[in-house]
Amino acid sequence: MGEIMNKLKFVFSAIVFSAGLVITTLAHAETIKIGVSFRMLSDVGYKHGELITDTVAKWNKEGTINGQKIDLTLYNDECKSEKGVANATKLAYQDKVHVIIGSSCSSVTLPMVPVSAKAKVPQIIPHSTNADITKKGSEYIFRVPVSSRFYKIVQGKFTAENQGTKIAYIYGPDAAGKDFALSLADYMRENYNVEPTYMVQSGEKETDFRSYLTKAKATNPEVLVISALLDETVRGLVQSYEVGIPKSVHRVTASIGSKVEIPINAGSAAKGVTFSAAFAASDTRPVAKKFVKMVKDKYGVVPGHDFSQMMDLLDILEIALKKVKFTGDLAADRNKVRDAIAATTDFRGLASGPINFCKSGTPECRDGNRTPVMIEYTKGGKNFKTKVAGTVTFNASAGL
Amino acid sequence: MEKFKSIIRDYPFIAFIIAFVILAFVPSVVFTDVYQSHLATLIFVNIVVAAGLNIVKGYCGQVTVGHVGLFAVGSYTAGTLFLYLGLGFWATLPIAIIVTAFFGVAMGIPSFRLEGPYLALATLGGGEAIRLFIENGNFFRSTFGISDIPTPSLMGYNFDSPDRYYFISMTIMIIAVYFSFSILRSGVGRAFMSIREDPICAAAAGINVKKYKILAFILSAMFAGAAGAVYAHMPPGYIHPNNYTVIEMVTFLAMVVLGGLGHIWGGIIGAIVITIVYDLTRPLYKYQLLIFGLTIVLTILFMPKGLGGFIDRYFLEKRFKKKTGTEKTS
Repeated sequence: MGEIMNKLKFVFSAIVFSAGLVITTLAHAETIKIGVSFRMLSDVGYKHGELITDTVAKWNKEGTINGQKIDLTLYNDECKSEKGVANATKLAYQDKVHVIIGSSCSSVTLPMVPVSAKAKVPQIIPHSTNADITKKGSEYIFRVPVSSRFYKIVQGKFTAENQGTKIAYIYGPDAAGKDFALSLADYMRENYNVEPTYMVQSGEKETDFRSYLTKAKATNPEVLVISALLDETVRGLVQSYEVGIPKSVHRVTASIGSKVEIPINAGSAAKGVTFSAAFAASDTRPVAKKFVKMVKDKYGVVPGHDFSQMMDLLDILEIALKKVKFTGDLAADRNKVRDAIAATTDFRGLASGPINFCKSGTPECRDGNRTPVMIEYTKGGKNFKTKVAGTVTFNASAGL
Repeated sequence: MEKFKSIIRDYPFIAFIIAFVILAFVPSVVFTDVYQSHLATLIFVNIVVAAGLNIVKGYCGQVTVGHVGLFAVGSYTAGTLFLYLGLGFWATLPIAIIVTAFFGVAMGIPSFRLEGPYLALATLGGGEAIRLFIENGNFFRSTFGISDIPTPSLMGYNFDSPDRYYFISMTIMIIAVYFSFSILRSGVGRAFMSIREDPICAAAAGINVKKYKILAFILSAMFAGAAGAVYAHMPPGYIHPNNYTVIEMVTFLAMVVLGGLGHIWGGIIGAIVITIVYDLTRPLYKYQLLIFGLTIVLTILFMPKGLGGFIDRYFLEKRFKKKTGTEKTS
């Protein structure tokens, strides 16, 4: 008797569970699903996650996307390719999202691209700059930040014409830092026929660069490139003065220079540092001022260009999603979202220039922001100041 | 039933053939989406590594914390063979196993003179040195990683998606587990256990301790090499030094500990549980490490012999009850 009751209980539970599933599915028929994968637990990564969550909550509250509900799924990829691939696969096939946002690290975004392309789900990149990402030719990929192919040209040209061609490079083992230094060195070699006076890769998490800097000093460079992660860049800048490299030597960093921790932590050593980025917190446009104030008030940090790029991405997505008439056919809806994002033209948000996408899956069409801006710190410390040293908008095929 | 059990006891490979057939039908019968195949492949890769780790750690009692380095050697052997020679999976897999076996010798030599935490430190250094060497070496594409490593194909059939690659990883896992079982149930396995219990006693009993220690490292390295190659060719075919850090090593160790050190099923159970727990807690990324750590701590506190020991105890009690008719064991 007990066994029969157990079986009945099991059958009843199965029916209730199935009914629940059906009801849930029907209730979410009109729901738009957005999946996110990036490094969520880094210094500001968590706050980026909050920015997305808050923005989507606002859309839902105000019925911004044609009154449709947005279902948000956030995963942390820890800046590890294996996790990024797993997240993209899960978001595409199991969570059945309409669009994926991610990732921060180029080394994670690179293997995510074939996953999203195969699953035919649009993927929009908030931070990764590695030029190879869009060269894969996926029709489903969109990049909001400036590609490294533009950064290397603007930095190379600016450095050669304004600072000098005798350059010493110290770079970290991280993909972004290394990519920037090597690309810049290649650019100088190809266009100005100059070899680095000194070039070295530091060790992982190494923070004492004085031996490298002393060797770099001995080569009498006109420019010192320090291209590494945040703490390493700060230490490198401070130590460059400790070893006696004169002020007249121009200090250059990768786009990480846009992070406010650089002038705050490096203090006076940040003065004169130039970098190329997509946004500066000192931007005087009303839209930028409003954004900086909002981020300061709400998230307690001064936004660097990573923050602004995430905001631009969300604004682009909002415009695109509004245009789409969702039918409930996932494959068709994903293609509609892709086409709607691809139709983004002359979007003017926080970025240094307009963002344009187009239909083809080529880098010309999918590297949206082609306007890096050269920024210089004119004062370091808490009350740091910057000035825009130059802005240039490249044609779509530059650097390919 | 008894007759079936006796056949399996006499011819254990039949059990593996049955397991292969059952697992071959899982994607079409059980799985509802491609992601589950991807997750299953990750589980299979982890099972191969954990089964190998169980040989050296669980059976031979050698504390190794550098196994993830051997896993990296397997992956990067496959990756670089593709990058520079254009070799495919069927060529890179055996080469990766052989190359990793040599690294296993290097990793095992310190075990002649060191043990316990000292051996752990030496192997930890070895594992990290391998990763840093890869990370700083342009030959290995450094922090850019190696991409577009091709998926295997067989007679024109390409295993290019997670649901297809499942069959490759599953087959390798079945073969690896079969070898692991065969080794551990042989005289070699008994020699490993005697070294684990008391190396001096083992030597007095005529066991060549050095030979068997190094053999344990070689065998477990071969498992890591195979897993590394399978991992490298897994779609989308991308490897990066960030995937072979101490965190991954701790995860592998957790699999073996959770499953039950020295338990024949230990590594397998641990790999399945840890991979699934990790996946289920993916949306709870804020608390994921906490849940993960708590699971390990509670398991060690309440199931010191791991899940394998817990299951053993359950069956032992059941058998005892059946034989004696009593409700509780003393």
